[in-house]
Amino acid sequence: MVEEKEKTKWVMTDGSELIIESLVRAGANAYVNYPITPSNWLNAFALKRFPFFMPAPDEITTLQWLCGMAAAGKIPVTATSFPGYALMIETMNEVYMMELPMVIILVQRLGPSTGSATVGAEGDLLVMNGTISGGFQFPVFSISSFEDCWNIPPKALKTAVELRTPVVILTSKEMIMTSRSFDLEKLHAVEPVKMKYFTGEAPYKPYKPNEDLIPEFLPVGNEQHQVRINSSTHDHAGMIKKATPEAIGNSLRLQEKIEKHIDSYSIYTFIEAPESETLIVTYGITSEACRESVCRCGKSGKGVSLLILNTLIPLPKFVIETMNSYRNVIVIEENSQANLVRYIYGVNLPTNVKKMNAFGRMITPSEIMKEIASCR
Amino acid sequence: MQIDFLAKKKMPYCPGCGHHASNLNLAKALEKSGYNLLDVIIVSDIGCSGLIDENMACHTVHGLHGRVVALATGIAYALANKNKKVIAIQGDGGATIGLQHLLVAARRNVNMTLLVLNNNVYGMTGGQLSGLSNTSLKEKILHDEAYYPPFDITEMAYQSGAVYASKIMAKGEFSDKLGEAIKTEGFSVVEIIGPCPAYAYNSIKEMMELGYEEKVLTNTRPFVAPQFYERSSLFDSKNAIERQFSAKISNKLSILLGGSAGEGVQLAADLLAQAGLSCGLNNTKKGEYPITVGTGFSLAEVIMSNDPIYYTGIEKADVAIVTSQDGWEMVKSRVNEFTKLFVDETIDTGTVDYGVKLPFREKVGRKSAVLCAIAYWMSHSGVVPVDALVKTFAGHKHEEKLLEAVNTGISM
Repeated sequence: MVEEKEKTKWVMTDGSELIIESLVRAGANAYVNYPITPSNWLNAFALKRFPFFMPAPDEITTLQWLCGMAAAGKIPVTATSFPGYALMIETMNEVYMMELPMVIILVQRLGPSTGSATVGAEGDLLVMNGTISGGFQFPVFSISSFEDCWNIPPKALKTAVELRTPVVILTSKEMIMTSRSFDLEKLHAVEPVKMKYFTGEAPYKPYKPNEDLIPEFLPVGNEQHQVRINSSTHDHAGMIKKATPEAIGNSLRLQEKIEKHIDSYSIYTFIEAPESETLIVTYGITSEACRESVCRCGKSGKGVSLLILNTLIPLPKFVIETMNSYRNVIVIEENSQANLVRYIYGVNLPTNVKKMNAFGRMITPSEIMKEIASCR
Repeated sequence: MQIDFLAKKKMPYCPGCGHHASNLNLAKALEKSGYNLLDVIIVSDIGCSGLIDENMACHTVHGLHGRVVALATGIAYALANKNKKVIAIQGDGGATIGLQHLLVAARRNVNMTLLVLNNNVYGMTGGQLSGLSNTSLKEKILHDEAYYPPFDITEMAYQSGAVYASKIMAKGEFSDKLGEAIKTEGFSVVEIIGPCPAYAYNSIKEMMELGYEEKVLTNTRPFVAPQFYERSSLFDSKNAIERQFSAKISNKLSILLGGSAGEGVQLAADLLAQAGLSCGLNNTKKGEYPITVGTGFSLAEVIMSNDPIYYTGIEKADVAIVTSQDGWEMVKSRVNEFTKLFVDETIDTGTVDYGVKLPFREKVGRKSAVLCAIAYWMSHSGVVPVDALVKTFAGHKHEEKLLEAVNTGISM
């Protein structure tokens, strides 16, 4: 019997290409873009791949167009960096209130302000947590490996559609602009997201939640039921109301639905080293340096546990529980203000938690090894 | 059967407000238009004009202040259906803050109608002046503002390419004037001048004395509907790189390439990484250059490894190939005496006294110098076979030139 040779397709590819291809396969069908470094590779691939691609004159317009497209039943995507995201925040609140699905890929760069467009950094987590007025949250994902560029976007898109919410994927220049050798045959199939439409009888109330706290969707322009979509405080019918119990309840439900379904989109990688008293917690591009460091530690016989976060907001309960269970925790991230530490602990850093940060450069495995050694 | 577009007759506006007449005439125009209720989407702004939703029996979308035209544009693009009618409504305040959205929609000839209910003030926030406020009102409210003329939104929309742009007074029956805009294929706008008794002018009669000129301006231009395309996978055009060579790498090799913009550094790095892949190695490649891509340094980092590569940075280079002074300035802090260094002989390397200096630029020119130097290193080190490099550019449009650079490097 002739043994069948394993099928391979080795190529050089990059994170941008994987992200765009996976999103389209997952069902994203419209892409609007205003150019900004370092997100432009994503835009270049989107131009070749998305069924609909349109250049917008600014980031406010970008997100407004996306919002309108989502209201009419499309699943839209854009990519930007912090200066562009800053202009999108008003519309992010609108999309959140309207409960429309979309994916924003935020390719982080060095700030504050316009900072350095071509210098990598990952300092926008706290902006994510403060985007929505009142402290409301939407799901925020982080890409922490090359494989994540394929796996996380479809998950983010599915979450956006199923929960009727905008989602953000945080990444950075180094992740999406570095080419790698890769076997495309190893990529698993992406299951397209199915938009579920309301199929019941009239009257249709566009913001009446089901038992999952999610209203059933119909696009504007449909010929079955009148749809009212509203960005102001509104009742189940989508009519503006000030502070009626129904309208206030409707607004509060926005956070409740995000929390209720957290298990469906909580993604993390926990590599537990037996007997280790030290845990490294990280996300984004720094995950790669941490993986390498943990491998080196393992080879030297002094294993260290590693927790890599893909879902950053809301934070999976497992994360805190795990961090509390270690004598030494090092939170490693590529920003100067310890975004993840401040997001989790505020200003009260527990005695078992240390922060390790860098500003304007990647953290190296050698530095991480030194930090680990200092804990022993 | 006549379709009633009004969900309820009672309007939420102050007595004497011009929006009342605008809404009634809009509903009447829609009734005469032939559209069904659920073919029409009213998209409204923040402000008194945005209170229209509850009166309309069609689809309604209520958005942010000044953004309604952009929001409606997204809806119109997504529907891409000329049997659906998207109508955006905003006041003069919304038109001021969202001016660019209006001009862009006119330029792009988006299939929608915009009604600008111009009552000269921000009524919802206490009667502040807008960019469309009349000079006489400015003299009463804030005299210094009277020096600056108001925008003529109708003219601006027309100049930006609106197929139909009109200015009308909110007086009596004007549903047919709205109907002209509504039946337009492409972008149409109607500026409706009306009173705000609470903060500006008390009546349309008073406003008739202000010198507003009713007008209709039209552009003849084709309407091009947005397209949704079936596109093939990005992977379809990628050629697989066969693993047909072997390399002599014990573990990991970090290679820095430094040159100047336009000197083929990134291409050479891509080819080098592909050569590594054809040897069955894991590879990463990344580039760095100033935001002005046509000038300054061009730096590339290539890592080749038998093991999976996690961290893609290079702390200290195993090999550094540098062919311009710009490139050297970026590379010099990342090499040491353990680095196999190959530099062009024109480069001033300062106190660094190790490495090989050769005339790569002189031999093959600045655009091929990096590839030439790579070939020199490969042929002399034997780490990665030169044949693997040559194979990567078979069929390339500059194959002959690339091959010349490689052969020159081998022979040096």
